Amino acid sequence: MRPARGGLALSRQASTPDASAPDAGADAGVDAALRAAFTEEWAHVVATLIRTTGDWDVAEEASAAAFERAARTWPRDGIPSRPGAWLTTTARHLALDRLRRRSVEVEKLREWRDVEEPGGPPDPADAVAADADAEWVDDRLRLIFTCAHPALAMDARVALTLRTVGGLATGEIARAFLVPEATMAQRLVRAKRRIRTAGIPYRVPPPEALPERLDSVLAVLYLVHNEGYLASSGERLMRVDLSTEAIRLTRLVAGLLPHETEAEALLALMLLQRARTAARAAPDGGLIPLELQDRSRWDRTDLTEGLAILTRLGSGPVGAYRLQAEIQGAHASAATASDTDWHRILACYDGLAARSDSPFIALNRAIAVGMADGPERGLAELAALEAGGGLGAYHLLPAAQADFHRRAGDATAARRCYRRAIGLAPTAVERRYLEGRLAALGA
Amino acid sequence: MEYALFYTQGADPQPYDPALDDIAEWDADGIARGVLEYGERLRPEHDATTVRVRGGELLIADGPFSEAKEAIGGFDVIDVPSLDEAIEIASRHPVARFGEVEIRPFWRGEGGVVADGDRLVPDGFDAEPKPGRSRYLLLVVADPNGEDVDESPEAWVAETGANGERLFGNRLQAPDATTRVMLRGGELVVSDGPLTEAKEWIAGLDLLDTAGLADAVSIAARHPMARAGTIELRPLWPLDVHADHAERTRREAAESAQRTEPRLTTGPGASAPRAEVWR
Repeated sequence: MRPARGGLALSRQASTPDASAPDAGADAGVDAALRAAFTEEWAHVVATLIRTTGDWDVAEEASAAAFERAARTWPRDGIPSRPGAWLTTTARHLALDRLRRRSVEVEKLREWRDVEEPGGPPDPADAVAADADAEWVDDRLRLIFTCAHPALAMDARVALTLRTVGGLATGEIARAFLVPEATMAQRLVRAKRRIRTAGIPYRVPPPEALPERLDSVLAVLYLVHNEGYLASSGERLMRVDLSTEAIRLTRLVAGLLPHETEAEALLALMLLQRARTAARAAPDGGLIPLELQDRSRWDRTDLTEGLAILTRLGSGPVGAYRLQAEIQGAHASAATASDTDWHRILACYDGLAARSDSPFIALNRAIAVGMADGPERGLAELAALEAGGGLGAYHLLPAAQADFHRRAGDATAARRCYRRAIGLAPTAVERRYLEGRLAALGA
Repeated sequence: MEYALFYTQGADPQPYDPALDDIAEWDADGIARGVLEYGERLRPEHDATTVRVRGGELLIADGPFSEAKEAIGGFDVIDVPSLDEAIEIASRHPVARFGEVEIRPFWRGEGGVVADGDRLVPDGFDAEPKPGRSRYLLLVVADPNGEDVDESPEAWVAETGANGERLFGNRLQAPDATTRVMLRGGELVVSDGPLTEAKEWIAGLDLLDTAGLADAVSIAARHPMARAGTIELRPLWPLDVHADHAERTRREAAESAQRTEPRLTTGPGASAPRAEVWR
């Protein structure tokens, strides 16, 4: 049995009319408590259960069953004072029951660290003793680092993180990544089997390995965010949810590892990008580029938090996410498009280009050159990139050339480049946007 | 957990540099930490012999089971707490710099030949073969084109172990438990899965100690997997970690033209009647 995503399914269960249910007001309170408990505690509960049972499937099943039991009993008995502790203790009892029933699990029972008597309602005192804060931090970090272990394929890392840390249902992850649910289920099964058979440890890596391994964690979270942020078709709402989930998980990692400034920088980057969500698309779904966006529609809460993080990071260490967040910060703090500090942005791209020879960074840097120093300089950079051949048939190269030709007043060259970009554009939304720019240049 | 480390050229080989790629330090460290159970270099792949039994006929061929780049140049058996330690050890092996290291966990407990808690390589195992004996790494290769055989190798293991021809061995976990490690430009590159998605894959290994290749072939032919898959025999090439590397590389280049054993013929002429193969 798989738990459905958080509040939604649980709230349906919790609000099902029940003979013993108290009045509607209390029901709504339970509903909110269940929703909050799922968001806040799912990773806690699963992480603790994996540590004590060593079995990912039993841990997931018992955690899901504990949330279901909460949906059944909280409306009747009231919300416990420490919902997380209640859920963890309940899940541990359920897991122990389950392992006891399965004779093949004798070994695991022997390994069970804190053997408790099953049955009966969880004892709150016992739960309080079990949840020393430091241990809970470690448990969640263990889970995050294991799900993002570099010996797992990247798609497995992403799926496992969303499923096990984020608590998303298999079907939701499958829809977000446009694969059949059976494929996603198989991917998750394989990832969990690989953790067991290859001996991937369930732990936070030692300090000397932490920076390298944190890179993998942040890459997974950024990939989840990008999948939500860049989506231009299909299950749009679901993908916005993905960005929200990525931000929630990044906030969790940044909070658990307060000295790792790259995690905070990634959080700022995601917030500053999400702030523009409402302004990025026209009512007809058409794409609105940064330059033409209605800046009053940018989300103030996200902008303020993102910029505050950048200020807090101040003169601290500068990594790749910090540089990308600074670029977003430059856009966010410009009152109008023409106020944009392109020299500051170019300096950040110089920093990124020095760290990576990615052709996509080179392309963005070339655009920054053109915006900072004039379209001719931009066109020269783009021509050099085109000659280098690293971008192949990537549509944004001719699109950028078209834009600089337009700014330089060469409509003929701009039209030629727009046509090439339209031929290469992978999505209908982008094609429509480019066709609009072409039409605006006249025949 | 015990892991087999296989050393391969990999998809992105770098030139071997005798000065950079000295193995002595790695070897000494592994022994000092008590994680290195056993390891050997193998004769180059052209000295490999593959053994198959199809329709009761013994088929012997020169060369490795696969012509792909992943031909194995050597192996180690290590015992470490988890994959992270195995990756760390593999990343410091010289081959990680110029080739690639494959990490394959052994199958433990139920269905495995070695029980949990025991080490694969027996205590007091003598790494030096006695005079007149030759050592071979026997690779058990699963091959979907093999015959349908569900016979367990337990009888083979018991018999070859009892007469001292098989020193140790075990099943390996399936290829999807494989992790590959290389160092490029000082950066650790870790990836999942086997190097190539070949249809054939190594399912286990054994170490043989025999009077020569003919005996090793006869032992290999009795393994159930000679019918269900392929057996590859690779002569060991014991490593002198103190030898001068440049000199050794030159000597090996000269030796590579020589055969360690008389060449066996391949094809129908090499076939044996079923009765002889199975006694």
